[in-house]
Amino acid sequence: MSAIQKNKVKSSHCVTLAVLIVFCILPLFLRDSWVSVVAEMLIWGLAGTALNLIFGHCGMVSFGHAGFFAVGAYTFGLLLNYGLVPYSIAFISGVLAATLFGMIVGWFAIRLISHYFALFILAASMVIWTIASIWYGVTGGDDGLIGIPVPDIFLSITNSYYFILMVVAVCLFILYLIRQSPFGSALYAIRENRRRAGSIGINVRRYVYIAFVISAAFTGIAGILMVNFLQCVFVGYADFMRSGELLFLCLLGGMYNFMGPTVGAFVYLFLDKVVTRYTEYWPFVLGSLIIFIALFFRGGIMGFMEERYRVFKLKRGEL
Amino acid sequence: MSWDIILQQSVSGLTEGMVLFVAAAGITLVMGSLKVLNLAHGSMYIIGLYLCFAVCSQFVGIPAYFYIAIIAGTLGASIFGGLMEILIIRPVYKMGHIYQFLVTWGVIFVVMDLVKMVWGGTYHPITAPQYLTGRIIFFGLAMPKYNLLLIIFGLVVFVLLYLFINRTRFGLIIRGITVDREMMSLLGQDVSRSYTFVFMLGCALAGLAGASVGPITVAGPGMEMMVLLKSFIIMVIGGFGSIVGALIAAILLGLVDSFGILFIPRLALGFPFFLMLIVLSIRPWGLLGRPE
Repeated sequence: MSAIQKNKVKSSHCVTLAVLIVFCILPLFLRDSWVSVVAEMLIWGLAGTALNLIFGHCGMVSFGHAGFFAVGAYTFGLLLNYGLVPYSIAFISGVLAATLFGMIVGWFAIRLISHYFALFILAASMVIWTIASIWYGVTGGDDGLIGIPVPDIFLSITNSYYFILMVVAVCLFILYLIRQSPFGSALYAIRENRRRAGSIGINVRRYVYIAFVISAAFTGIAGILMVNFLQCVFVGYADFMRSGELLFLCLLGGMYNFMGPTVGAFVYLFLDKVVTRYTEYWPFVLGSLIIFIALFFRGGIMGFMEERYRVFKLKRGEL
Repeated sequence: MSWDIILQQSVSGLTEGMVLFVAAAGITLVMGSLKVLNLAHGSMYIIGLYLCFAVCSQFVGIPAYFYIAIIAGTLGASIFGGLMEILIIRPVYKMGHIYQFLVTWGVIFVVMDLVKMVWGGTYHPITAPQYLTGRIIFFGLAMPKYNLLLIIFGLVVFVLLYLFINRTRFGLIIRGITVDREMMSLLGQDVSRSYTFVFMLGCALAGLAGASVGPITVAGPGMEMMVLLKSFIIMVIGGFGSIVGALIAAILLGLVDSFGILFIPRLALGFPFFLMLIVLSIRPWGLLGRPE
């Protein structure tokens, strides 16, 4: 048993390493336009994984994670745009701002459940959206800010790509560690049965609160990376639709799997690029896909693959 | 500030409030008794609005075409809602709120593009019959006639809905399934069919709001989000399932909108969301709702 277990750990490490190497050499083969698509996929993957800590892992729907994304993005973008602080400080302040916003919103939100929770976060993100869209003098309102001065090194798409790859890999690794820790297991327990988790001594509210703040912080990092990559900030970052898109990434890839949202982000953005080439009715396809997955394909892509893998193992008599 | 500006702003605020009340009454009814948050509610409003436009532009010659248009919008939205409930919401009642959010979220995109396929992405004005447009003199002020009609219409809808829920047998069933679904089915009530009925009623109200607001707005893409968000705010402030609460909250929201734009235009946009946050953190069940 232990031999199999050890073997399994090793093989999954090998897969991770192989994927990382593939990502490292991707810019050598792909055109710049596709490299930038992959960079965006990575950023969305990080945001989705961060959201999934609350969504798939704790079983709480958040309809406003775009708010945290936007708080990180705007803090970083504004600080750089007005030349207030050097780059590194702006980066750190972006993360701190998203964390702080997560702490404030979370403080109230975790007292609520199901629909109330979802609506509360939605309202909070819409407040950010409103502030961003009416504060013309500072945020540029609906037009957003374009041409944010990032260090020259990030002007090359390849450099930017490697930076994003590095940050996303590190963040995903940290999120993975959190998920595998006793803290992560406690979150599972809360998702499966809140009351029972409470009665075996888990402080449900504190655990959910910590998970929420972590999730907000990493979503903020994704927002910062987006600004760093595109050099612009838009009101659309905080949009209600954006939050829904993030939820869809988790659903598509499989919300009960750690890599699900990242896989979902890749498939989603790829579909977006390909389908919009053939038809202007991409939202129609998207909507039907959402309904189909929610009704018949609940595990998402990773859930499906896991099941196939299990069947495969069973047939070979290894389980 | 002069008297006529106050009156003018009140009328425009009340008009908006009444339209929003009709739309929000639907979502709060569905939320209260089915415990389903219908994210596609704004899409039902859009369906009503576009059907009203379609009928108005096709049958502009025949008498009473405008009333046919409003009825068509209401019925269209309610039939669409019924199909939606039977086909995609029924399988996920037991799956918890995550999947209910997701399927109704998907419907938003589908309706958005269906509308675009049929009517294109441009804006269409809707013309009401002559005797409904124009202005009448009201306390020495010229008021748009249709706005006043909408206010009265909203109140009529409120009274009818209130009587329907509290005085009729169907209303009794709705209140019954709100309290205890299992008990109602033990008492011999076909709960599945009642659910479909309540959902259709909710969608019909959204369609009615969309169709009746036609002449003072235009049928265009992208309006569903605004209606959806405002319905959320009203539902939360008024309390899930409370019709009276929805009326108060809708009037409040309409007046805040119209007067806020006069005084502090920048804050008027964000204030409702702020109000929603405060209500959710202090009294999550809303002004007139019942704590779960």
